Amino acid sequence: MKKIRKLISTFQKMRQAQNHVLSMNRRNLEYVYPNNSRCNFPIADNKLETKAYLRSLSIPMPVTHRVYDSFFSLRKVESDLQNLNDFVIKPAQGSGGGGILVIVENKGSELITAGGRIVTLQNLRTHMSDVIFGIYSNGLSDQVIVESRLVQHKDMDILSPSGLTDLRVIVHQNTPVMAMLRIPTSLSDGKANLHQGAMGAGIDMENGNISHAIHNNVEITAHIDSGHHLIGRQVPYWAESIAIAETVAYAVPLKYLGIDIALTESGPVLLELNVRPGIAIQNANDLGLYAALRSKAGAA
Amino acid sequence: MQVDGHGGDINTSTFLPISDSRQTIQNESNNSGVFSLSLLSEGINRRAQWNADSVQGRHTIRYSYSVLGKHVRYEIPGDLSIPASYPRELDKYLKEESGIQVNDPLIEKKINYLFPEGKPNIFDGVYTIHKHLQNEFNNKNFSGFTDALTALKLGEASCNGKGRLFVALARKLNLPARLVGGFVMEPGTKRTSHQWVEIYINGYWVPFDTINNHFAELPAHYLTLYYGDMVLFKHTSNVNFQYFFKTLKRLVPQQDAQSKLEATPFNLTNLYSLFERIGISQNLLKIILMIPFGALVTVIFRNVIGLETFGTFLPALIAAASRETGLLWGLIGFVIIILTASWIRKFLDWIHLLHSPKMAIMLTMVVSLMLLMTVAGVNAGLFELAHVTLFPIAILAITAERFSILEAEQGWAKVSKITLSTLFVICACYVVMDSLFLQSLVLAFPEVLLILVGLNLWLGKWVGMRLSELFRFRKLIFNPEVKA
Repeated sequence: MKKIRKLISTFQKMRQAQNHVLSMNRRNLEYVYPNNSRCNFPIADNKLETKAYLRSLSIPMPVTHRVYDSFFSLRKVESDLQNLNDFVIKPAQGSGGGGILVIVENKGSELITAGGRIVTLQNLRTHMSDVIFGIYSNGLSDQVIVESRLVQHKDMDILSPSGLTDLRVIVHQNTPVMAMLRIPTSLSDGKANLHQGAMGAGIDMENGNISHAIHNNVEITAHIDSGHHLIGRQVPYWAESIAIAETVAYAVPLKYLGIDIALTESGPVLLELNVRPGIAIQNANDLGLYAALRSKAGAA
Repeated sequence: MQVDGHGGDINTSTFLPISDSRQTIQNESNNSGVFSLSLLSEGINRRAQWNADSVQGRHTIRYSYSVLGKHVRYEIPGDLSIPASYPRELDKYLKEESGIQVNDPLIEKKINYLFPEGKPNIFDGVYTIHKHLQNEFNNKNFSGFTDALTALKLGEASCNGKGRLFVALARKLNLPARLVGGFVMEPGTKRTSHQWVEIYINGYWVPFDTINNHFAELPAHYLTLYYGDMVLFKHTSNVNFQYFFKTLKRLVPQQDAQSKLEATPFNLTNLYSLFERIGISQNLLKIILMIPFGALVTVIFRNVIGLETFGTFLPALIAAASRETGLLWGLIGFVIIILTASWIRKFLDWIHLLHSPKMAIMLTMVVSLMLLMTVAGVNAGLFELAHVTLFPIAILAITAERFSILEAEQGWAKVSKITLSTLFVICACYVVMDSLFLQSLVLAFPEVLLILVGLNLWLGKWVGMRLSELFRFRKLIFNPEVKA
């Protein structure tokens, strides 16, 4: 009898608790689809369109040096890039950090990547043609963006010497709802994706301090590589970052978004928009996103 | 049948079933390679004989047919007495044979023991013999030849020993009796044939089986192959000979229902005969109609349970194709193809190819792999594996591509997990799509598909937690203090 009562109360608690956690089904059905109309998806899915859409607002973004959209145009790569010492190659429609190549030094025929690897110009050209042929964009043809390399804030460089840490902010109806830092680790190979082994650090929306952190869905308090303490650490340029997120949220017709921001020495820089932001942010923050979404909507 | 030749001439033969009031034989087809088939009539039996000259190596002979069986049951009137004489053509069913020693004193002793009050009537006679053999004689799983006397002395026997003893005892009572050889059809592969008995009563040959206790009745899944005390398989002695029976269960429209429906112009059987006319068999149609069920199963696994699978429809399609290979070989074939194709993709990646030509090569490789598996399957006698050619080729190529991308991006652990859950969902699809009940339902009422659409509409609006999310967010959900 006692067991049954316990089971029932667990079940009730579960029902109640489910009410504050956002499920994948609910995210799609009640947030992504009604708030973002399909014809506006390219604004987020294509980084060139994101830049074009936001050009008139003075939002800091990486400078686009070159765009290649045909195999033919790649013939001029060598002369195009000879004046750039460091740059980043990105697929315009890539996702999950796939196809991104960071060049830290250009020696003409050889180039050095952020990981210390040496690639030849020929390697670079092959990689760019892979991008154009859509290998990193679900088989659709794509464009190659060559843009300026960002140098991250020293506070962030301490946390992730192997890659760019980014700040993910979920905005709904122009209001920032939840945020986390995605910190690359030695396991994630420089990438800032939680399911690839990056750490997720939930941020207190009031003051921009790290309040909770996870790695592979397990709670942590310190960096898994360096042991640097995470909890209570302040996100640099927090207020400016939130201001950028709000400006972008107002500007684009997409009303449920993940906004990714890099934190550089000179201030926050917009990286990309995501119309289907993941729900792991709830575990990073140890907070239910559904409850947060409803309380913000009620307050607004 | 499988033979290993060593250069000599080979001939091998067996009995083929004949359509009668109890069983209908259709779609017979012979697939015997170098062997030529001749059909011989031997009394009331039909013998098939395969011949070939100077045979080298392993050869397989396949003869297939579909059987529509009927359950029969006879009522034996209690007051029928055993006739004193029969028409001359029944004489041979009363005589002694080498394995059926009717005139042996031991048989007479047994008759006197079973019937102390003298000659019984027909019902009491066969009932007593049947009960005695069924209850007092142990069934023995022995595949060799047992004659009537040996069975009597041992007090135990396999089907052929019991059958011979039954025939000997019946003939001693002056009841015409014969052995029947055949096969009990159960889905799967087996080597054991079966024998039972028929006794001529009042103008009918009435069946009895004292192994499985069928008195004056025979279930629909008994297939009669021959009458009399015969050897099922004969072959020249210079070969290594193997045989097995493979049974697949198929759905057929009930004939009386069919003929009733044919009267109305807008009916399903007419609709199906229309498909039949353009070369789409009902069997294929049934598989096609079951694919939406498989898709629903996959949707439930993805959206309600939260298992990641390769593609939304891949599991349903593989399950559909596995109907021909069997589930186990379907899964094995799937894993072999995906692993090999993704390994090939790795190689193609290494030589740096553009995407579309690379995918075309992958497709070619998947096709070649399937042909290789078919050849290997036939050579090893695994006909199930030989049917992998029915797999959805393009989808497999795309899956292999996704497999290797996922492996490169997220590692073996993740990709193995998705492969395992895909295999699991394939099994679930197979079980559901193999359900005879659902197959009959959708064939009889194709409007059931609308119910599937309805269920998918409901699932498409369902915002609840996936089972896997309960685990993923367990800390948030089961935490004592509910946060907001």
